[in-house]
Amino acid sequence: MRDVAIVGVGMHPWGKFDDKPLTLMCREAVGAALSDAGVAWNEIEAISAGSSRFSGGFGWGLNGNEIAMDIGLTGVPVYNLSAGCATGGSALSVGHMLVASGQADTVLVVAGEKMPRGFLPTSGSEGDATDLQYLQWACAGMTGPAFWAMLTHRRMVDYGTTEQQLARVAVKAHKNAAHNPNARYRQEFTLEDVLNSAVVSYPLRLYEVCPVSDGAAAVVLCSAEEARKRTTKPVWIAASVVATGQPGDGIPRGVSALTTDGRAHHSEVTAAVRKAFATAGVAPSDVDLVELQDNTVYYELAFPEEWGLCEPGQAEWLLERGETEPTGKMPINPSGGFLCFGEATTAMGVFEVCELAWQLRGEAGARQVPDAKVALGQTIGLGANGTAVILKR
Amino acid sequence: MTTSTTSRPIVEGVFTDTAAGPRLIGTRCRACGTPHFPRSPVCRTPACNSADVEDVHLGPHGVLWSFTIQHYKPPAPMRFDDPFVPYGIGLVDLPEGLRVLTMMSAPDPAALKIGMPMELVIEPLYHDDHGNAVTTWKFRAAPAQVKRG
Ligand SMILES: [Zn+2]
Repeated sequence: MRDVAIVGVGMHPWGKFDDKPLTLMCREAVGAALSDAGVAWNEIEAISAGSSRFSGGFGWGLNGNEIAMDIGLTGVPVYNLSAGCATGGSALSVGHMLVASGQADTVLVVAGEKMPRGFLPTSGSEGDATDLQYLQWACAGMTGPAFWAMLTHRRMVDYGTTEQQLARVAVKAHKNAAHNPNARYRQEFTLEDVLNSAVVSYPLRLYEVCPVSDGAAAVVLCSAEEARKRTTKPVWIAASVVATGQPGDGIPRGVSALTTDGRAHHSEVTAAVRKAFATAGVAPSDVDLVELQDNTVYYELAFPEEWGLCEPGQAEWLLERGETEPTGKMPINPSGGFLCFGEATTAMGVFEVCELAWQLRGEAGARQVPDAKVALGQTIGLGANGTAVILKR
Repeated sequence: MTTSTTSRPIVEGVFTDTAAGPRLIGTRCRACGTPHFPRSPVCRTPACNSADVEDVHLGPHGVLWSFTIQHYKPPAPMRFDDPFVPYGIGLVDLPEGLRVLTMMSAPDPAALKIGMPMELVIEPLYHDDHGNAVTTWKFRAAPAQVKRG
Protein backbone atom coordinates (compact mmCIF):
# COMPACT_ATOMS: atom_id res chain seq x y z
CA MET A 1 0.00 0.00 0.00
CA ARG A 2 1.18 3.52 -0.82
CA ASP A 3 1.42 6.46 1.56
CA VAL A 4 -1.42 8.95 1.14
CA ALA A 5 -1.23 12.68 1.79
CA ILE A 6 -3.84 15.38 2.22
CA VAL A 7 -2.70 18.26 0.02
CA GLY A 8 -5.77 20.49 0.14
CA VAL A 9 -8.79 21.12 2.36
CA GLY A 10 -11.81 23.38 1.93
CA MET A 11 -14.93 24.12 3.92
CA HIS A 12 -18.16 25.99 3.36
CA PRO A 13 -19.22 27.65 6.64
CA TRP A 14 -21.83 25.76 8.70
CA GLY A 15 -25.22 27.39 9.34
CA LYS A 16 -28.68 27.64 7.78
CA PHE A 17 -28.55 28.75 4.14
CA ASP A 18 -32.16 28.51 3.03
CA ASP A 19 -31.64 30.46 -0.20
CA LYS A 20 -28.39 28.82 -1.27
CA PRO A 21 -28.47 25.59 -3.30
CA LEU A 22 -26.51 22.63 -1.95
CA THR A 23 -24.66 22.35 -5.27
CA LEU A 24 -23.31 25.88 -4.81
CA MET A 25 -22.21 25.15 -1.23
CA CYS A 26 -20.37 22.01 -2.40
CA ARG A 27 -18.86 23.81 -5.40
CA GLU A 28 -17.40 26.43 -3.04
CA ALA A 29 -15.98 23.78 -0.67
CA VAL A 30 -14.47 21.84 -3.61
CA GLY A 31 -13.10 25.06 -5.10
CA ALA A 32 -11.43 25.95 -1.81
CA ALA A 33 -9.88 22.48 -1.48
CA LEU A 34 -8.60 22.45 -5.09
CA SER A 35 -7.17 25.93 -4.68
CA ASP A 36 -5.52 24.97 -1.38
CA ALA A 37 -4.03 21.91 -3.12
CA GLY A 38 -3.02 23.67 -6.31
CA VAL A 39 -4.89 20.96 -8.21
CA ALA A 40 -7.11 21.61 -11.23
CA TRP A 41 -10.58 20.03 -11.49
CA ASN A 42 -9.54 17.94 -14.50
CA GLU A 43 -6.61 16.51 -12.54
CA ILE A 44 -8.98 14.76 -10.11
CA GLU A 45 -8.97 11.04 -11.02
CA ALA A 46 -11.77 9.80 -8.77
CA ILE A 47 -14.42 11.20 -6.41
CA SER A 48 -15.48 9.63 -3.12
CA ALA A 49 -18.58 11.43 -1.87
CA GLY A 50 -20.97 11.40 1.06
CA SER A 51 -24.45 10.24 0.12
CA SER A 52 -27.27 12.21 1.75
CA ARG A 53 -30.74 11.02 2.65
CA PHE A 54 -31.88 14.58 3.31
CA SER A 55 -30.70 16.75 0.42
CA GLY A 56 -29.35 16.76 -3.11
CA GLY A 57 -28.18 13.72 -5.05
CA PHE A 58 -31.39 13.73 -7.12
CA GLY A 59 -33.16 12.10 -4.18
CA TRP A 60 -31.13 8.94 -4.79
CA GLY A 61 -28.14 9.81 -2.64
CA LEU A 62 -26.07 10.44 -5.79
CA ASN A 63 -24.45 13.52 -4.25
CA GLY A 64 -21.04 12.86 -5.79
CA ASN A 65 -22.57 12.59 -9.26
CA GLU A 66 -24.54 15.77 -8.71
CA ILE A 67 -21.37 17.65 -7.70
CA ALA A 68 -19.47 16.28 -10.71
CA MET A 69 -22.27 17.30 -13.08
CA ASP A 70 -22.50 20.74 -11.49
CA ILE A 71 -18.78 21.48 -11.83
CA GLY A 72 -18.41 19.65 -15.15
CA LEU A 73 -18.24 15.95 -15.98
CA THR A 74 -14.74 14.61 -16.61
CA GLY A 75 -15.53 10.90 -16.89
CA VAL A 76 -13.93 9.86 -13.58
CA PRO A 77 -15.41 7.20 -11.30
CA VAL A 78 -17.72 8.48 -8.55
CA TYR A 79 -18.40 6.54 -5.35
CA ASN A 80 -21.36 7.57 -3.15
CA LEU A 81 -20.96 6.36 0.43
CA SER A 82 -23.74 6.10 2.97
CA ALA A 83 -23.17 5.42 6.68
CA GLY A 84 -25.46 7.79 8.59
CA CYS A 85 -23.44 10.34 10.56
CA ALA A 86 -20.32 8.25 9.81
CA THR A 87 -20.66 8.92 6.06
CA GLY A 88 -17.86 11.48 5.82
CA GLY A 89 -15.40 9.15 7.54
CA SER A 90 -16.51 6.35 5.27
CA ALA A 91 -15.99 8.50 2.14
CA LEU A 92 -12.52 9.44 3.36
CA SER A 93 -11.65 5.77 3.88
CA VAL A 94 -12.64 4.86 0.32
CA GLY A 95 -10.72 7.86 -1.05
CA HIS A 96 -7.71 6.72 0.96
CA MET A 97 -7.99 3.17 -0.44
CA LEU A 98 -8.17 4.45 -4.01
CA VAL A 99 -4.85 6.25 -3.63
CA ALA A 100 -3.16 3.71 -1.33
CA SER A 101 -4.01 0.85 -3.70
CA GLY A 102 -2.59 2.70 -6.69
CA GLN A 103 -5.89 3.00 -8.54
CA ALA A 104 -5.64 6.79 -8.55
CA ASP A 105 -2.98 9.39 -7.75
CA THR A 106 -5.28 12.34 -7.01
CA VAL A 107 -8.71 11.90 -5.40
CA LEU A 108 -11.40 14.30 -4.20
CA VAL A 109 -13.36 13.46 -1.03
CA VAL A 110 -16.43 15.66 -0.63
CA ALA A 111 -19.64 15.79 1.36
CA GLY A 112 -22.31 18.43 1.80
CA GLU A 113 -25.77 18.44 3.26
CA LYS A 114 -28.72 20.69 4.06
CA MET A 115 -30.67 19.33 7.00
CA PRO A 116 -34.40 19.56 7.73
CA ARG A 117 -35.17 21.65 10.81
CA GLY A 118 -35.91 20.15 14.21
CA PHE A 119 -35.56 16.60 15.45
CA LEU A 120 -34.83 14.08 12.73
CA PRO A 121 -37.85 11.93 11.87
CA THR A 122 -37.82 8.17 11.79
CA SER A 123 -37.81 6.19 8.57
CA GLY A 124 -39.64 3.19 9.98
CA SER A 125 -42.33 1.26 8.11
CA GLU A 126 -45.58 1.26 10.04
CA GLY A 127 -46.68 -1.93 11.78
CA ASP A 128 -43.54 -3.87 10.79
CA ALA A 129 -42.41 -5.88 13.82
CA THR A 130 -39.01 -6.54 12.20
CA ASP A 131 -38.24 -2.83 11.56
CA LEU A 132 -36.06 -1.79 14.49
CA GLN A 133 -36.38 1.92 13.66
CA TYR A 134 -40.16 1.67 13.75
CA LEU A 135 -40.10 -0.20 17.05
CA GLN A 136 -37.63 2.29 18.58
CA TRP A 137 -39.33 5.48 17.52
CA ALA A 138 -43.02 4.87 16.92
CA CYS A 139 -43.59 2.13 19.53
CA ALA A 140 -41.09 2.99 22.29
CA GLY A 141 -41.09 6.80 21.96
CA MET A 142 -37.35 7.04 21.35
CA THR A 143 -35.62 10.16 19.98
CA GLY A 144 -31.97 10.99 19.32
CA PRO A 145 -31.68 13.22 22.39
CA ALA A 146 -33.40 10.53 24.53
CA PHE A 147 -30.74 7.98 23.49
CA TRP A 148 -27.93 10.36 24.49
CA ALA A 149 -29.76 11.39 27.67
CA MET A 150 -30.06 7.80 28.92
CA LEU A 151 -26.32 7.26 28.39
CA THR A 152 -25.58 10.52 30.19
CA HIS A 153 -27.91 9.79 33.11
CA ARG A 154 -26.29 6.38 33.59
CA ARG A 155 -22.85 8.01 33.58
CA MET A 156 -23.99 10.33 36.37
CA VAL A 157 -24.78 7.26 38.48
CA ASP A 158 -21.63 5.31 37.48
CA TYR A 159 -19.12 8.16 37.84
CA GLY A 160 -20.86 10.94 39.76
CA THR A 161 -20.82 13.30 36.76
CA THR A 162 -22.63 16.54 37.66
CA GLU A 163 -24.91 18.77 35.58
CA GLN A 164 -22.30 21.53 36.03
CA GLN A 165 -19.63 19.31 34.46
CA LEU A 166 -21.89 18.53 31.51
CA ALA A 167 -22.48 22.26 31.03
CA ARG A 168 -18.76 22.95 31.25
CA VAL A 169 -18.18 20.88 28.09
CA ALA A 170 -20.51 23.22 26.18
CA VAL A 171 -18.83 26.30 27.65
CA LYS A 172 -15.43 25.00 26.46
CA ALA A 173 -16.80 24.21 22.99
CA HIS A 174 -18.15 27.73 22.51
CA LYS A 175 -14.92 29.27 23.78
CA ASN A 176 -13.15 27.46 20.90
CA ALA A 177 -15.80 28.24 18.29
CA ALA A 178 -15.52 31.96 19.03
CA HIS A 179 -12.19 31.74 17.14
CA ASN A 180 -13.53 29.72 14.20
CA PRO A 181 -14.95 31.72 11.26
CA ASN A 182 -16.66 28.58 9.85
CA ALA A 183 -18.66 27.84 13.04
CA ARG A 184 -22.40 28.51 13.15
CA TYR A 185 -22.58 29.55 16.82
CA ARG A 186 -19.61 31.73 17.77
CA GLN A 187 -20.84 33.45 20.93
CA GLU A 188 -19.31 32.43 24.24
CA PHE A 189 -21.55 31.00 26.98
CA THR A 190 -21.21 31.08 30.75
CA LEU A 191 -21.97 28.02 32.86
CA GLU A 192 -25.21 29.74 33.88
CA ASP A 193 -26.21 30.33 30.24
CA VAL A 194 -25.92 26.61 29.55
CA LEU A 195 -27.62 25.53 32.79
CA ASN A 196 -30.47 27.98 32.12
CA SER A 197 -31.13 26.63 28.61
CA ALA A 198 -34.25 24.47 28.27
CA VAL A 199 -34.09 20.81 29.30
CA VAL A 200 -34.51 18.80 26.08
CA SER A 201 -34.25 15.31 27.53
CA TYR A 202 -33.20 15.13 31.18
CA PRO A 203 -30.32 15.60 32.05
CA LEU A 204 -29.43 17.17 28.69
CA ARG A 205 -30.13 20.83 27.94
CA LEU A 206 -30.55 22.66 24.65
CA TYR A 207 -26.96 24.00 24.55
CA GLU A 208 -25.62 20.52 25.38
CA VAL A 209 -27.11 18.86 22.28
CA CYS A 210 -25.97 19.60 18.73
CA PRO A 211 -28.45 21.30 16.42
CA VAL A 212 -28.82 20.40 12.73
CA SER A 213 -27.13 22.61 10.15
CA ASP A 214 -26.23 23.00 6.50
CA GLY A 215 -22.57 22.54 5.61
CA ALA A 216 -20.06 21.18 3.11
CA ALA A 217 -16.40 20.18 3.17
CA ALA A 218 -13.85 18.73 0.74
CA VAL A 219 -10.31 17.36 0.81
CA VAL A 220 -7.84 16.46 -1.93
CA LEU A 221 -5.76 13.29 -1.44
CA CYS A 222 -2.56 12.45 -3.32
CA SER A 223 0.08 9.77 -3.52
CA ALA A 224 3.36 10.67 -1.81
CA GLU A 225 5.03 11.32 -5.14
CA GLU A 226 2.29 13.71 -6.27
CA ALA A 227 2.16 15.36 -2.85
CA ARG A 228 5.83 16.30 -2.95
CA LYS A 229 5.22 18.16 -6.22
CA ARG A 230 2.20 19.99 -4.82
CA THR A 231 3.00 21.11 -1.30
CA THR A 232 5.68 21.61 1.30
CA LYS A 233 3.13 20.91 4.07
CA PRO A 234 1.59 17.51 3.37
CA VAL A 235 -0.58 15.96 6.08
CA TRP A 236 -0.26 12.17 6.07
CA ILE A 237 -3.11 9.73 6.56
CA ALA A 238 -1.55 7.24 8.97
CA ALA A 239 -4.81 5.25 9.17
CA SER A 240 -8.38 5.58 7.89
CA VAL A 241 -10.62 2.86 9.29
CA VAL A 242 -14.29 1.85 9.09
CA ALA A 243 -15.88 -0.60 11.54
CA THR A 244 -19.33 -1.78 12.62
CA GLY A 245 -20.60 -2.77 16.05
CA GLN A 246 -20.61 -6.08 17.92
CA PRO A 247 -22.76 -7.60 20.65
CA GLY A 248 -21.81 -6.44 24.13
CA ASP A 249 -22.68 -2.74 24.02
CA GLY A 250 -24.91 -1.80 26.93
CA ILE A 251 -27.19 0.50 24.97
CA PRO A 252 -29.48 -1.03 22.34
CA ARG A 253 -29.18 -0.11 18.66
CA GLY A 254 -32.67 -1.60 18.29
CA VAL A 255 -35.06 -2.13 21.22
CA SER A 256 -32.90 -4.55 23.21
CA ALA A 257 -29.29 -5.40 24.02
CA LEU A 258 -27.76 -8.26 25.94
CA THR A 259 -27.40 -7.18 29.56
CA THR A 260 -23.84 -6.22 30.38
CA ASP A 261 -22.02 -4.80 33.38
CA GLY A 262 -19.58 -3.02 31.08
CA ARG A 263 -19.40 0.75 30.76
CA ALA A 264 -18.24 0.90 27.13
CA HIS A 265 -21.19 1.19 24.80
CA HIS A 266 -19.85 2.07 21.34
CA SER A 267 -18.06 -0.99 19.93
CA GLU A 268 -18.30 0.34 16.34
CA VAL A 269 -16.17 3.32 17.32
CA THR A 270 -13.83 1.55 19.73
CA ALA A 271 -13.03 -1.06 17.07
CA ALA A 272 -12.30 1.64 14.47
CA VAL A 273 -10.15 3.73 16.83
CA ARG A 274 -8.14 0.79 18.16
CA LYS A 275 -7.50 -0.53 14.65
CA ALA A 276 -6.45 2.96 13.58
CA PHE A 277 -3.94 3.11 16.45
CA ALA A 278 -2.55 -0.31 15.46
CA THR A 279 -2.38 0.53 11.75
CA ALA A 280 -0.71 3.87 12.36
CA GLY A 281 1.67 2.50 14.98
CA VAL A 282 0.46 5.23 17.31
CA ALA A 283 -0.28 4.95 21.04
CA PRO A 284 -3.15 6.89 22.65
CA SER A 285 -0.54 8.93 24.53
CA ASP A 286 0.96 10.08 21.20
CA VAL A 287 -2.25 11.87 20.16
CA ASP A 288 -1.90 15.67 20.32
CA LEU A 289 -5.54 16.50 19.58
CA VAL A 290 -8.90 14.91 18.82
CA GLU A 291 -11.91 15.96 16.76
CA LEU A 292 -14.71 13.66 17.96
CA GLN A 293 -18.40 13.51 17.21
CA ASP A 294 -19.96 15.48 20.05
CA ASN A 295 -23.64 15.07 19.21
CA THR A 296 -23.91 15.82 22.90
CA VAL A 297 -21.53 16.79 25.72
CA TYR A 298 -21.60 13.20 27.01
CA TYR A 299 -19.37 11.96 24.19
CA GLU A 300 -16.53 14.30 25.08
CA LEU A 301 -16.43 12.57 28.48
CA ALA A 302 -17.11 8.95 27.47
CA PHE A 303 -15.21 8.53 24.18
CA PRO A 304 -11.68 9.41 25.39
CA GLU A 305 -12.09 6.76 28.10
CA GLU A 306 -13.44 4.11 25.72
CA TRP A 307 -10.39 4.70 23.48
CA GLY A 308 -7.75 4.64 26.21
CA LEU A 309 -6.88 8.36 25.95
CA CYS A 310 -7.57 8.61 29.69
CA GLU A 311 -8.72 6.36 32.51
CA PRO A 312 -12.45 5.60 33.06
CA GLY A 313 -13.92 8.33 35.26
CA GLN A 314 -10.99 10.69 34.62
CA ALA A 315 -12.58 12.79 31.85
CA GLU A 316 -14.41 15.19 34.19
CA TRP A 317 -11.19 15.76 36.14
CA LEU A 318 -9.31 16.64 32.91
CA LEU A 319 -12.17 18.89 31.77
CA GLU A 320 -12.25 20.87 35.00
CA ARG A 321 -8.49 21.45 34.87
CA GLY A 322 -8.67 22.80 31.32
CA GLU A 323 -6.75 19.85 29.88
CA THR A 324 -9.26 19.43 27.02
CA GLU A 325 -8.73 23.02 25.84
CA PRO A 326 -6.34 23.66 22.91
CA THR A 327 -3.48 24.38 25.32
CA GLY A 328 -4.18 21.37 27.59
CA LYS A 329 -2.76 17.84 27.69
CA MET A 330 -5.70 16.29 25.82
CA PRO A 331 -7.21 18.91 23.47
CA ILE A 332 -10.68 17.92 22.25
CA ASN A 333 -12.58 19.63 19.43
CA PRO A 334 -10.60 22.86 19.10
CA SER A 335 -12.93 23.62 16.16
CA GLY A 336 -15.87 24.04 18.56
CA GLY A 337 -17.24 20.67 17.46
CA PHE A 338 -20.75 19.71 16.46
CA LEU A 339 -22.15 21.61 19.46
CA CYS A 340 -21.15 24.87 17.74
CA PHE A 341 -21.32 23.81 14.09
CA GLY A 342 -24.46 21.68 14.26
CA GLU A 343 -24.49 18.50 12.29
CA ALA A 344 -24.74 18.35 8.54
CA THR A 345 -24.65 14.64 9.15
CA THR A 346 -22.90 13.22 6.09
CA ALA A 347 -20.28 16.00 5.96
CA MET A 348 -19.04 15.68 9.54
CA GLY A 349 -16.20 13.24 8.90
CA VAL A 350 -14.79 15.49 6.16
CA PHE A 351 -15.27 18.58 8.32
CA GLU A 352 -13.13 16.95 11.05
CA VAL A 353 -10.32 16.20 8.59
CA CYS A 354 -10.28 19.83 7.44
CA GLU A 355 -9.87 21.06 11.02
CA LEU A 356 -7.22 18.46 11.86
CA ALA A 357 -5.25 19.36 8.70
CA TRP A 358 -5.33 23.06 9.60
CA GLN A 359 -4.16 22.20 13.11
CA LEU A 360 -1.30 19.99 11.87
CA ARG A 361 -0.22 22.70 9.41
CA GLY A 362 -0.22 25.25 12.23
CA GLU A 363 -2.88 27.36 10.50
CA ALA A 364 -5.65 27.27 13.13
CA GLY A 365 -5.08 30.78 14.49
CA ALA A 366 -6.35 31.51 18.00
CA ARG A 367 -7.63 27.93 18.45
CA GLN A 368 -4.27 26.37 17.47
CA VAL A 369 -3.05 23.37 19.47
CA PRO A 370 0.65 24.18 20.00
CA ASP A 371 3.04 22.00 17.97
CA ALA A 372 0.39 19.43 16.96
CA LYS A 373 1.95 16.40 15.23
CA VAL A 374 -0.57 13.54 15.58
CA ALA A 375 -4.35 13.97 15.36
CA LEU A 376 -7.35 11.66 15.70
CA GLY A 377 -10.78 12.09 14.09
CA GLN A 378 -13.87 9.96 14.70
CA THR A 379 -17.47 9.53 13.59
CA ILE A 380 -20.37 7.29 14.62
CA GLY A 381 -23.49 6.71 12.55
CA LEU A 382 -26.82 4.94 12.36
CA GLY A 383 -26.54 1.25 11.55
CA ALA A 384 -23.69 0.73 14.07
CA ASN A 385 -21.18 2.48 11.80
CA GLY A 386 -17.94 3.86 13.21
CA THR A 387 -14.89 5.49 11.59
CA ALA A 388 -11.52 6.70 12.79
CA VAL A 389 -8.71 8.58 11.07
CA ILE A 390 -5.21 9.32 12.31
CA LEU A 391 -3.33 12.16 10.64
CA LYS A 392 0.34 13.10 11.02
CA ARG A 393 2.49 15.92 9.76
CA MET B 1 -61.62 13.11 27.37
CA THR B 2 -61.66 10.44 24.71
CA THR B 3 -63.70 7.34 25.47
CA SER B 4 -61.90 4.35 24.07
CA THR B 5 -64.24 2.06 22.19
CA THR B 6 -61.72 -0.67 21.40
CA SER B 7 -58.06 -1.26 21.91
CA ARG B 8 -55.45 -2.63 19.52
CA PRO B 9 -51.65 -3.09 19.68
CA ILE B 10 -49.53 -0.66 17.64
CA VAL B 11 -47.67 -3.67 16.25
CA GLU B 12 -48.44 -7.42 16.18
CA GLY B 13 -46.18 -10.11 17.62
CA VAL B 14 -44.07 -7.91 19.91
CA PHE B 15 -46.06 -7.97 23.17
CA THR B 16 -49.11 -9.81 24.44
CA ASP B 17 -51.59 -10.03 27.28
CA THR B 18 -51.56 -13.54 28.78
CA ALA B 19 -53.60 -15.07 31.58
CA ALA B 20 -50.56 -14.47 33.79
CA GLY B 21 -50.30 -10.80 32.74
CA PRO B 22 -48.46 -8.80 30.07
CA ARG B 23 -45.37 -10.26 28.41
CA LEU B 24 -42.91 -9.27 25.66
CA ILE B 25 -42.52 -11.78 22.83
CA GLY B 26 -38.98 -12.76 21.96
CA THR B 27 -36.95 -15.76 20.92
CA ARG B 28 -34.38 -17.90 22.69
CA CYS B 29 -31.64 -19.79 20.86
CA ARG B 30 -31.91 -23.52 21.59
CA ALA B 31 -28.22 -23.97 20.79
CA CYS B 32 -26.62 -21.35 23.05
CA GLY B 33 -29.51 -19.92 25.09
CA THR B 34 -29.14 -16.30 23.91
CA PRO B 35 -32.40 -14.32 24.15
CA HIS B 36 -33.56 -11.84 21.48
CA PHE B 37 -36.24 -9.14 21.49
CA PRO B 38 -38.11 -8.70 19.22
CA ARG B 39 -38.26 -12.22 17.77
CA SER B 40 -35.32 -13.11 15.56
CA PRO B 41 -35.36 -15.98 13.05
CA VAL B 42 -31.69 -16.69 13.82
CA CYS B 43 -29.41 -16.39 16.82
CA ARG B 44 -27.37 -13.21 16.38
CA THR B 45 -24.48 -14.33 18.60
CA PRO B 46 -21.60 -14.28 16.07
CA ALA B 47 -20.12 -17.62 17.12
CA CYS B 48 -23.53 -19.36 17.01
CA ASN B 49 -25.84 -18.06 14.26
CA SER B 50 -28.12 -21.06 14.79
CA ALA B 51 -31.56 -21.02 13.17
CA ASP B 52 -32.86 -23.31 15.91
CA VAL B 53 -34.78 -20.72 17.94
CA GLU B 54 -38.00 -20.84 19.95
CA ASP B 55 -40.52 -18.16 20.88
CA VAL B 56 -40.42 -17.13 24.54
CA HIS B 57 -42.33 -14.73 26.73
CA LEU B 58 -40.15 -12.13 28.49
CA GLY B 59 -40.97 -10.16 31.65
CA PRO B 60 -42.81 -8.84 33.52
CA HIS B 61 -40.10 -7.99 36.07
CA GLY B 62 -36.96 -5.90 35.60
CA VAL B 63 -34.62 -3.27 37.03
CA LEU B 64 -34.28 0.30 35.69
CA TRP B 65 -30.80 0.75 34.12
CA SER B 66 -31.31 4.32 32.98
CA PHE B 67 -34.04 6.71 31.87
CA THR B 68 -34.79 10.21 30.66
CA ILE B 69 -37.79 12.47 30.39
CA GLN B 70 -38.83 13.42 26.85
CA HIS B 71 -39.92 17.05 27.26
CA TYR B 72 -40.82 17.84 23.66
CA LYS B 73 -43.31 16.15 21.37
CA PRO B 74 -41.33 14.05 18.89
CA PRO B 75 -42.07 14.58 15.18
CA ALA B 76 -44.52 12.65 13.00
CA PRO B 77 -44.98 9.81 12.26
CA MET B 78 -44.74 9.31 16.04
CA ARG B 79 -48.21 9.89 17.45
CA PHE B 80 -49.36 11.17 20.83
CA ASP B 81 -52.67 12.37 22.24
CA ASP B 82 -53.18 16.12 22.59
CA PRO B 83 -52.22 17.91 24.68
CA PHE B 84 -48.74 16.37 24.71
CA VAL B 85 -47.59 15.27 28.16
CA PRO B 86 -43.83 14.74 28.76
CA TYR B 87 -43.09 11.05 29.24
CA GLY B 88 -40.34 8.88 30.60
CA ILE B 89 -38.30 6.59 28.37
CA GLY B 90 -35.90 4.07 29.80
CA LEU B 91 -33.86 0.89 29.61
CA VAL B 92 -34.95 -1.99 31.84
CA ASP B 93 -32.76 -5.02 32.60
CA LEU B 94 -34.74 -8.26 32.51
CA PRO B 95 -33.55 -11.35 34.43
CA GLU B 96 -33.71 -13.20 31.09
CA GLY B 97 -30.53 -11.31 30.13
CA LEU B 98 -31.90 -8.47 28.00
CA ARG B 99 -31.85 -4.70 28.41
CA VAL B 100 -35.09 -3.47 26.86
CA LEU B 101 -35.96 -0.03 25.53
CA THR B 102 -39.34 1.10 26.83
CA MET B 103 -41.62 4.01 27.48
CA MET B 104 -42.49 4.63 31.10
CA SER B 105 -46.06 4.41 32.28
CA ALA B 106 -47.58 7.73 33.37
CA PRO B 107 -48.22 9.61 35.53
CA ASP B 108 -45.11 10.64 37.45
CA PRO B 109 -41.79 10.14 35.65
CA ALA B 110 -40.13 12.32 38.31
CA ALA B 111 -40.58 9.47 40.82
CA LEU B 112 -38.34 7.17 38.77
CA LYS B 113 -34.90 6.22 40.08
CA ILE B 114 -32.11 4.23 38.42
CA GLY B 115 -31.86 0.79 40.03
CA MET B 116 -35.51 0.57 41.07
CA PRO B 117 -37.60 -2.57 40.37
CA MET B 118 -39.96 -2.24 37.41
CA GLU B 119 -42.86 -4.19 35.94
CA LEU B 120 -44.25 -4.51 32.44
CA VAL B 121 -47.65 -3.07 31.49
CA ILE B 122 -49.54 -2.72 28.23
CA GLU B 123 -51.08 0.74 27.94
CA PRO B 124 -52.42 3.18 25.35
CA LEU B 125 -49.76 5.12 23.43
CA TYR B 126 -52.36 7.29 21.70
CA HIS B 127 -55.97 7.21 20.51
CA ASP B 128 -56.68 7.00 16.79
CA ASP B 129 -59.11 9.20 14.84
CA HIS B 130 -62.04 6.98 15.92
CA GLY B 131 -61.14 7.11 19.61
CA ASN B 132 -59.69 3.60 19.68
CA ALA B 133 -56.75 3.07 22.02
CA VAL B 134 -53.51 2.05 20.29
CA THR B 135 -51.40 0.23 22.86
CA THR B 136 -47.68 -0.37 23.35
CA TRP B 137 -45.41 -1.95 25.96
CA LYS B 138 -44.36 0.23 28.90
CA PHE B 139 -42.79 -0.28 32.31
CA ARG B 140 -43.71 1.25 35.65
CA ALA B 141 -42.25 1.21 39.14
CA ALA B 142 -43.09 -2.18 40.68
CA PRO B 143 -45.16 -2.31 43.85
CA ALA B 144 -43.09 -2.82 47.01
CA GLN B 145 -41.44 -6.26 47.27
CA VAL B 146 -43.49 -7.19 50.31
CA LYS B 147 -46.74 -7.05 48.32
CA ARG B 148 -45.39 -9.40 45.68
CA GLY B 149 -44.60 -11.87 48.48
ZN1 LIG C 1 -27.22 -19.14 19.69
